[in-house]
Amino acid sequence: MTTFIHRRTGVSELNDLIRSAPPEIVQLGDDHRRSLAARFRAVPSNGHRRIDSWNVERAGQPAHAFRWSPATARRTLGNAALRRMLRDPLCSVIDAINREIDDQLMRDVAGYAQRGSMASWFATLHQSELALVKADAANWTLQMHEIALSIEDQWSVCASDAFYDVARARTTLRGRRDLEVVLEDRCVLLRIRSGSPGKSSGPGLRSDLTIATLAHPQGIAPARMIGLWPESGVCLGVDGTMSDLRAGARDLVRTAVAQQRYHQSIAA
Amino acid sequence: MPTLSESHRNVMEALRGDRKRRPRVDTSSAAGLRAMLEDGIFEFWTDAPEPPLIVRASSLRNVKDTTDIALSNHARLRGVLVHELVRLFSVGAEISSAFDDAFRAWQLETVAGELFDYAQRLDGDDLARLATDVMSHYVTLSRALGVIPATFQPRSAVRASVMMHGGTIVLRDVIDLMVGTTLGEVASVALFDVTTSPLGTGAERSMRYHALVQTLRSGVVPLRTSVFSSATGEMWTLDVDGELLRRSVNDVLDVLRAMVKHA
Repeated sequence: MTTFIHRRTGVSELNDLIRSAPPEIVQLGDDHRRSLAARFRAVPSNGHRRIDSWNVERAGQPAHAFRWSPATARRTLGNAALRRMLRDPLCSVIDAINREIDDQLMRDVAGYAQRGSMASWFATLHQSELALVKADAANWTLQMHEIALSIEDQWSVCASDAFYDVARARTTLRGRRDLEVVLEDRCVLLRIRSGSPGKSSGPGLRSDLTIATLAHPQGIAPARMIGLWPESGVCLGVDGTMSDLRAGARDLVRTAVAQQRYHQSIAA
Repeated sequence: MPTLSESHRNVMEALRGDRKRRPRVDTSSAAGLRAMLEDGIFEFWTDAPEPPLIVRASSLRNVKDTTDIALSNHARLRGVLVHELVRLFSVGAEISSAFDDAFRAWQLETVAGELFDYAQRLDGDDLARLATDVMSHYVTLSRALGVIPATFQPRSAVRASVMMHGGTIVLRDVIDLMVGTTLGEVASVALFDVTTSPLGTGAERSMRYHALVQTLRSGVVPLRTSVFSSATGEMWTLDVDGELLRRSVNDVLDVLRAMVKHA
């Protein structure tokens, strides 16, 4: 039986949701990893496969070609700016974002930025376009900071998303995560989302939960994965139970199968 | 009854007000307002429509009071570009050419749509007319707004989408500029809306609607809601209280009744 919790994003509701995370610690072992790899290997692939919760929520439907925009850059830029603000409390949001953008531009000038990267995209932008990117990132950072400050337990901004390479299956799984809350011997992960949750948000959160567990060196599952939709004032949660992890893994494999079918239909 | 105060010279001063006189933050009213809305909807609701009914701030403006010119593509595009300028102001961007900067910024996030097609079809004369129009609104706006301090935590184009009645009704809103934070002992969130039309009775309803949706979304009652006309330089500001929010609930119920009647 999988879990699914729905709450408003008030300060007390969010803290209750974090603290009521199940105390049991669930762990994925080598057998689980081998079994998952075998299932992915059984799905033929034309090239290297990348699957994340967005693919799961879209049931493997091919998305539009990725292009950088203020909306696609705001999370990366905003999270980095928040980390910078936490290191230097005197730094304002706009200063932090400006410094992050300066760093990215420096990488481009130094030749370290790859073609198509955020840094190389910044280098092509006019000042007014860059200002719009800053405005979107500022919204994200302030929102994240407000949510983080409302958490009563120890929290940190995640340094990166969770990545897991499935052995010999040419598949990389990417689990998104923004904040990590530490509760004694276990942790709760939070993910901030735009818009409103849809019918497939639960499977999306479960896949993020599964990928975070697979990416953990000891395979320890987060006690709870919480998705926050501040625009709607809603948060949803899934628990780190074995049935939720299995459901998340099943959704990931199904997405790989659906992707393959779409590729075949396009090729035909 | 909240009062409307007109023609502030400094927008930020009007938005933030006297810090010592701010009320304690209200986190308890949101649940009551939601219940009022749900009860009101239940009284006249018949069947769940598909797709869901969407209420926006524009739904609350009296369309009869709006001239056709204000609904034209030219006016809508001007409005969009002025909103882009507010976004650029919020991060302290230096604006060298109001129209060019706003147009570039808008095109960065807009790649299709009716207005996009309209903008592509504009010839040199139309573009020059639009640029002059945007410039005049920019001058009024920049004089009123001045510099927005980063310590006010300005956020631009803040979106909200609150689902009601099991998701069959969605209250959508975009607030042009929001300053302050929902955390803290006293209320500090101020909402600022910019319109390129002169202010009318519809603007007052929009101000209330912004406050209501922000309350439902965040669970915290904002301090103040205001609207600024870049056409006339006039600004209205209302302190948000229970009565204002209840009036907005009634406004929304009236709009929903009309929508159900005409559905």
